[in-house]
Amino acid sequence: GLVQSCGHIIPESPVLALGSNFTALCILNESCLDFGNIYANQIIWKIKNRVVPKEHYHEINRTVSSVTFNDTSSLGTPLTCNILADGQIEQNIYGITVTVGLPPEKPKNLSCIVHQVLKLTYPMTCTWNPGRHTFLDTHFSLKSRWPQETFPDCIPKTGNNSCTIPDVQFFVNLEVWVEATNALGKAESDPLVFDPIEIVKPLPPHNFSVSSGILPTVLKLSWENRISSAVMKLKFNIRYRIVGNTNWMQVPPEDTASPRTSFSVQGLRPNTEYVFSIRCMKEDGVGYWSDWTEDKTGVTTED
Amino acid sequence: LGTSQSIQKTYDLTRYLEHQLRTLAGTYLNYLGPPFNEPDFNPPRLARAERVPSATVDLDLWRGLTDNARLAANYRAYSRLLCYLRALDGQEGTAELRHRLGHFCSSLQGLVLSIAGVMSSLGYPLPAGPAGPTTPPGTPVAPNDFLKKMDDFWLLKELQTWLWRSAKDFNRLKKKVPPAVVTLRLEARGF
Repeated sequence: GLVQSCGHIIPESPVLALGSNFTALCILNESCLDFGNIYANQIIWKIKNRVVPKEHYHEINRTVSSVTFNDTSSLGTPLTCNILADGQIEQNIYGITVTVGLPPEKPKNLSCIVHQVLKLTYPMTCTWNPGRHTFLDTHFSLKSRWPQETFPDCIPKTGNNSCTIPDVQFFVNLEVWVEATNALGKAESDPLVFDPIEIVKPLPPHNFSVSSGILPTVLKLSWENRISSAVMKLKFNIRYRIVGNTNWMQVPPEDTASPRTSFSVQGLRPNTEYVFSIRCMKEDGVGYWSDWTEDKTGVTTED
Repeated sequence: LGTSQSIQKTYDLTRYLEHQLRTLAGTYLNYLGPPFNEPDFNPPRLARAERVPSATVDLDLWRGLTDNARLAANYRAYSRLLCYLRALDGQEGTAELRHRLGHFCSSLQGLVLSIAGVMSSLGYPLPAGPAGPTTPPGTPVAPNDFLKKMDDFWLLKELQTWLWRSAKDFNRLKKKVPPAVVTLRLEARGF
């Protein structure tokens, strides 16, 4: 039949804060006492087979012994309760696993960015600093809400300190914060409140082309914007260099500071091949520049 | 958020919804199939469709509305339209269509909140009474599939008209409510 254990330890499987104090009790079963005169004062506490010094023990009564640690940093696992009865070999009564760690710190440096991925799809990725290592299983969740509507939590992949909300809403202020939870407690980051339209990194223009015109010092750039003006109006940066030259020149930003789908670059050298690329961002400068487009070349006509 | 900023955001959101609806309505009507996706399809408005708040209004009446009455009309309409739309939301079409519908519903919910925010910042009470119908159309109430699709058709049509009208309403309100006092930032230059 099953061997009935002669005692147990409480608490069963504690999770303890690093540096705190801890007391465990080993409670012998009355039924075992009748076996062979075993008493609480014969209990030997061990950490990983290393005997705990006697001064940590305290006999509560005939069947209960306690062990106390002033600083859990010295604790290990398992913590076992063993008995050495008269003239017998030492026997294990019970053992527990002890987990020592830290409660989560308040997540810091929460920041978010909306990457446009399709014409109408805007996932928002938020990242944060999780704070110190806790030595425990610590779960993070990115929370977001409007004043009267709470959205589903965004659960990051294990170990990631970022999470992506698949499709964010514009033109309504969103409150975002991070919650960290483990067995020892919970902590919340400071909230961010913003309109996601203010943190967009748009896709760069596409179908970008360069064409020469009548004048030998002018090349015309044309492109298509991939974000609707109903979402945001754009401004642009245009850079160019002579093929073979590494220094980029830039069209004065004020000349391209309004919505457009083309621009004529002037003051170029006749009969010369140039490389161009452009990028865009929200017209009022709130948000992020897109990546640069692929380079496109064009040749000015002869003089 | 200042009142004029709140109105500006509401206006931007309305135009954004118009933009989303243009794509969404096309996709949804294609899902409904002929005759609903044919450009010249212009059915009479059946009695059933009366439940969907109509955006059509007499021009003089519209001009004569107070800002409070205009905002309240918008608030009531979108609260009801949102309920009807949510009845569409979960059942129809492809996953992509359902995702677009879900996103649009969330945006529309944002518009209802924004209008409420504008009204409270202007000191107007929110309209009392249920925000939406108890049994929105599109649920088994429609006796047959064709009439169900007709309900959906009219819902999308009215939504497009409401958004077009609301953009005008908020644009008009924007002009009436000046931005908060513009704080001049004196930039010390080498004094």
